Amino acid sequence: MSEQATAPPPAADAAAPALSFADLSLTFADGTHALAGINLAVRPGEFVSILGPSGCGKSTLLRVAAGLVDYSAGALNVDRAHLGFTFQDATLLPWRTVRRNVELLLELRGAPPAERRRIAQEKIALVGLSGFEEHHPKQLSGGMKMRASLARSLTLDPKIFLFDEPFGALDEVTRERLNDELLALYARQGFTALFVTHSIAEAAYLSSRVVVMSARPGRIVAEFAAPFPYPRRDEIRYSADFARLSGEVSAALRAASAT
Amino acid sequence: MTAFYPPRPAKQRPLAAIEIALNVGPPVLLGAALAALYAWARSGLEEHRRFLMPGWSDLWTGAFASEPVRAELFRAAGVTAQIALTGLAITIPIGMLLGVLMFRWRFAERAAFPYLVALQSIPILAIIPLIQSLLGFGFVPKVLIVALFTFFAIPTTLLLGLKSLDPGIIDLFRLQGASWRTTLLKAGLPASLPALFAGLRISAGLAVIGAIVSELFFVSGDGGLGQMLINTKIDFQYEQMYAALIVSSAMSIGVYLFFSWLGRRLFSSWHDAGEA
Ligand SMILES: Nc1ncnc2c1ncn2[C@@H]1O[C@H](COP(=O)(O)OP(=O)(O)OP(=O)(O)O)[C@@H](O)[C@H]1O
Ligand SMILES: [Mg+2]
Repeated sequence: MSEQATAPPPAADAAAPALSFADLSLTFADGTHALAGINLAVRPGEFVSILGPSGCGKSTLLRVAAGLVDYSAGALNVDRAHLGFTFQDATLLPWRTVRRNVELLLELRGAPPAERRRIAQEKIALVGLSGFEEHHPKQLSGGMKMRASLARSLTLDPKIFLFDEPFGALDEVTRERLNDELLALYARQGFTALFVTHSIAEAAYLSSRVVVMSARPGRIVAEFAAPFPYPRRDEIRYSADFARLSGEVSAALRAASAT
Repeated sequence: MTAFYPPRPAKQRPLAAIEIALNVGPPVLLGAALAALYAWARSGLEEHRRFLMPGWSDLWTGAFASEPVRAELFRAAGVTAQIALTGLAITIPIGMLLGVLMFRWRFAERAAFPYLVALQSIPILAIIPLIQSLLGFGFVPKVLIVALFTFFAIPTTLLLGLKSLDPGIIDLFRLQGASWRTTLLKAGLPASLPALFAGLRISAGLAVIGAIVSELFFVSGDGGLGQMLINTKIDFQYEQMYAALIVSSAMSIGVYLFFSWLGRRLFSSWHDAGEA
């Protein structure tokens, strides 16, 4: 179990990347040129956010990494044995209770009932949903559904975690609270994260690195390091560095959208 | 210009008694209106044709209060129910299997759909003589007629339900390397239950109608309600004929309510339509 309570230090040396795209391109069967030469290497324990204009291929990039979509050219290296994926909407099974939803992935992998129940219980507690185990999704708020979805991904103890705008549909306060909870999980579990978002503040607050993609066909056009040590606290939002980083990302994003 | 809008307290939940009255009241009122209409139509008939529309007391004394008629109604209803249920027992599994096949393979859908629509648009009454010549007058042709009446709604509603499955959920299963069969059993079928049950309710009602229609054409042996309708007409026992009609409708409504209840039990906890 990954019980280390310390922050995972982003390895500065040339450790083999946990996830890397090399000149990766993708053209869909209908001729849509979605990705054009993506170069990105994510080191183990790194938290990388991706921003880019709508329709530029961010979701597609994650789906390629997860193996849900085939790419056309280039190279992809990733270990899919412990891959977590949270979608933009919670994608809970409406006929299952929270507990049975959280158990689903282990169930599909053939884990014995007692074990998956124990792990589900643990992750439900971790995301703060204790007491709601027997609720159905329709009885939950948007934020609670997202937490259940997170708990479900966590049952696999992911080494690599792909997030596709997981908090995009939430209000600002809930989003910030879940950001803090996600950082706590990140510190605890020590996964590698690739996080798609439309929120510059969210990207700057969570990540060690922010990359910006161009309009379709998507390429990576800018990269920024976020110079804040983990564990992070809310105060950094009011620092000058945070404001500068946000401004630079915003400018890059505007330039990317203009082309 | 501003205007004053007074505060309004939230609507209180009505008392249970009032709620029941609100639910039961309208159908009872409409029923009373129909009964009055019936009495009015009956009073307009000439005296010697009034037997065509028996009065309520005649219906009671001539049919429901008479022990042998009750026994006959009961027996006939059993025969009809047997035909209807046998038909459903065949069409539900076969229809569901076809729905799943059409979901699995586009070409199966393309191949089968025109014939499903054709089946639905053939006037079934028109091919009953053909069925008679082919299969005779026994139990089998009657079941076949029920099957023709009930088949369409099952594969089509199941297919609709399967197609409504959230693609995100399919991705979720794919990411765990789940087989197509696992995805069907754990995601597809549960997701399509509400749609399927809408189809089952329709088919169940049609099964009773199909069973009665089949008997109108195949008067033989110990008949069901359909045969009772014909025989009582021949014998001018219109009270019994009306009684058979009433029992037929009650059966149709009964199976409809049964499937509504079953559907509610299965998915009211998670699906909004389950509460309807
Ligand atoms: N299966 C597909 N077939 C054809 N085109 C597709 C397919 N999936 C996505 N696309 C196209 O690829 C492009 C990139 O889509 P994608 O969903 O990756 O964008 P995105 O960056 O995630 O956008 P958003 O920020 O709005 O979520 C879009 O133009 C989309 O229409
Ligand atoms: Mg997207």
